[in-house]
Amino acid sequence: MTFFTAEITAMVNIYLLLILLYAILIMSSYLVLAVLSFIELKEYIKKNSFIDYEILLSSQQAPYLSLIAPAYNEGLTIEENVKSLLSLNYNNYEVIVVNDGSKDNSMDMLISTYDLIKKDLDHETPITTKAIRGIYRSKNAAFKKLTVVDKENGGKADALNVGLNIAKHPYAVCIDVDCILDKDSLLKLAKPFLESIDKKVIATGGVVRIANQCTIEDGRLIDVNVPNKLLPRIQVLEYLRAFLLGRMAWERLDGLLLISGAFGAFDREIAIKAGGYNTKTVGEDMELVVRMRRYMLERNIPYTVSYIPDPLCWTEAPDNAAIFKKQRSRWMRGTIETLWIHRKMFFNPKYKILGMISVPYWTFFEFLAPLIEFVGLLVTLIFVILGILNWKIFLLLFLFVYIFATMFSLLALLGEELTYHKYPRIKDFLKLFAAALIEPLYFHPLAVYAALIGYWEKIKGKKTWGDMTRQGFQKKQ
Amino acid sequence: MEFFWNLYQSKVWVVPFLIYAIGILLFGSVTLLAIIIWTRHTHIKEQKFILQYDRLIEPMLLNVLFDTGSYSTFNNDPHYSSLFNNTVFRKQMMANIINLHKNYEGSYAKKLEKFYLESHLITDSFRKLKNARWEIQCLAIEELSEMNVVTVFEHLVDTSKSSNKLLKIAAIKGCIKLNGTKGITHLIRHKDPLDQWSQLSIIDAIKHGDLRLTEGIEILLTSKNDTVVSLGLKIIQSLHLSQHNLDIIRMISTTDNVYLKQEGQLTLTAIKSSNT
Repeated sequence: MTFFTAEITAMVNIYLLLILLYAILIMSSYLVLAVLSFIELKEYIKKNSFIDYEILLSSQQAPYLSLIAPAYNEGLTIEENVKSLLSLNYNNYEVIVVNDGSKDNSMDMLISTYDLIKKDLDHETPITTKAIRGIYRSKNAAFKKLTVVDKENGGKADALNVGLNIAKHPYAVCIDVDCILDKDSLLKLAKPFLESIDKKVIATGGVVRIANQCTIEDGRLIDVNVPNKLLPRIQVLEYLRAFLLGRMAWERLDGLLLISGAFGAFDREIAIKAGGYNTKTVGEDMELVVRMRRYMLERNIPYTVSYIPDPLCWTEAPDNAAIFKKQRSRWMRGTIETLWIHRKMFFNPKYKILGMISVPYWTFFEFLAPLIEFVGLLVTLIFVILGILNWKIFLLLFLFVYIFATMFSLLALLGEELTYHKYPRIKDFLKLFAAALIEPLYFHPLAVYAALIGYWEKIKGKKTWGDMTRQGFQKKQ
Repeated sequence: MEFFWNLYQSKVWVVPFLIYAIGILLFGSVTLLAIIIWTRHTHIKEQKFILQYDRLIEPMLLNVLFDTGSYSTFNNDPHYSSLFNNTVFRKQMMANIINLHKNYEGSYAKKLEKFYLESHLITDSFRKLKNARWEIQCLAIEELSEMNVVTVFEHLVDTSKSSNKLLKIAAIKGCIKLNGTKGITHLIRHKDPLDQWSQLSIIDAIKHGDLRLTEGIEILLTSKNDTVVSLGLKIIQSLHLSQHNLDIIRMISTTDNVYLKQEGQLTLTAIKSSNT
């Protein structure tokens, strides 16, 4: 650095020191969260071995649930998906399918398959939504749990709000209609609502897993496989890390900000009082949880959000880079929007752990991380061009980060082995192990790139979801 | 501070730091991989043993149930005698006998109870009961109450006061198993609140027990613990015990708790509609 002035050298040193501190902080936070998750998982598994969920099945006092499934252009699979929703192991529930102005034959399919007729049902509209064209019930008693709402297109959040308005029961379970639910998922999701005495349980979330290349029969998952394609395969690993090593820790800290939009249950009254889903964000799932929590905190009502590590919901992950980029850029926009809407909470002690830890964590390590990585790459490139990069340190640093990432994936695999052991075949384990080795070199840069697109789309003011074309699940022959 | 800044700027620490850190992480990764492989191996081995032992245990217990087989017969059989001291085998034998006992009553159940006593599985259960870990105690309670070891009742009453929710539920369920609803009348003095899940678990245990043994349940309605009163109401409603309508009316008139008054009214309505 002979041609650098002392000031510039000092500035570079300060920058490098800040990055070093940031790296130490993010890596240690991952490890702390992993340790907390392991403790929580161990306790859960121990406790769960004494739980008989059948109790809820035979009890009149089991919580009453309204399943809300928004559907947009799902004509190809909607018949089977609704059938699977109607055959879950639970008694006290209704299914509300909200057709969000589909342009395909979804509504006709539903009407003919389930003998639907239009009904004039009285319902309150505490949340303002797009116009409802009609509410349908089945003539066939076998489908008495089913209500179908046909409405003008307004997006997923608007469809969910219609469901919240129409729902008869105190707990709303919001799901993606194309997800595969475990037969006992509602039993497990409902239990936390019965367990708290001094705190109100306002929401419960379940673990979502990747179903690509798994075998599905009659809307049920019958064989779990690890995908051969690299992109969905790495996402299996990523979901294991996120759900087993991340969210369980946040649950333990009572600082969970996100319940996956694919599968989560909410106290309907609180969700409505908090204003329902925000139709102006693409991260409506996270935004609702944050708003509900904020609502409780601002009114000093004791509450909690619960999380279940059991794999209850299986979803199809993007299997090509183009769709993956669309999904992840949308997730980033959703994160930015939620953090911006609730910026008041940032390091605000009034919001307790949420304000002091959860929101700052998401700001620094979820929202800012891709940007910092990108800046790091640019600086490295500049150093290379100027010929001042210390290659020995660079390679050691690269190796350090690579081994840390691999070790963290192995930790997630260990968590899976010690708990649910869903991938018993040696072939599947080897595939996941290979994914752990490849991920930092292939998947991570792609995810950072997608997040950067998310920043750019947010700056441009993009508000739409973008198409998510799915391949469909593998059926049993 | 200046010392640290100078040290940082000198960069002499960078390479050794990174080499040590890489070494630690590499060691961590290899250890994790080894633990995963060992866990998978243990899991597979355990499954193999379970299958292997089940093939021996099932015919043995069926022989005890439907034939003249007894513990002494099998203890003299070289195929079995050595296995009776094997921890995994005993654990599997315990699980099988408990499962089987759930399906049989009368003389068949008595045969299994006799085997449980003679094979000293009962000693295993008592040993577990003294274990400091709550989950082991829960297992022991399930085993002892399933096998009708009534001497454990008073211990279970004490355990039902535990602050550990699951241990508490297991103990109350054990009390119910051994003594019907009489087994829960002691809850009238219970101080801690019972959440709804605990209440439903207790009701479920009652439903699975001898439904004729419901006397004394009305006493729960006089408890000072509102959640115990609520449990009493739920039991009366679930079992349609209309003979306790007057007790409910009395509870409604004496309690100050609005929710209990409401629940009492709902219970009366539910019993009425189920009787018509």
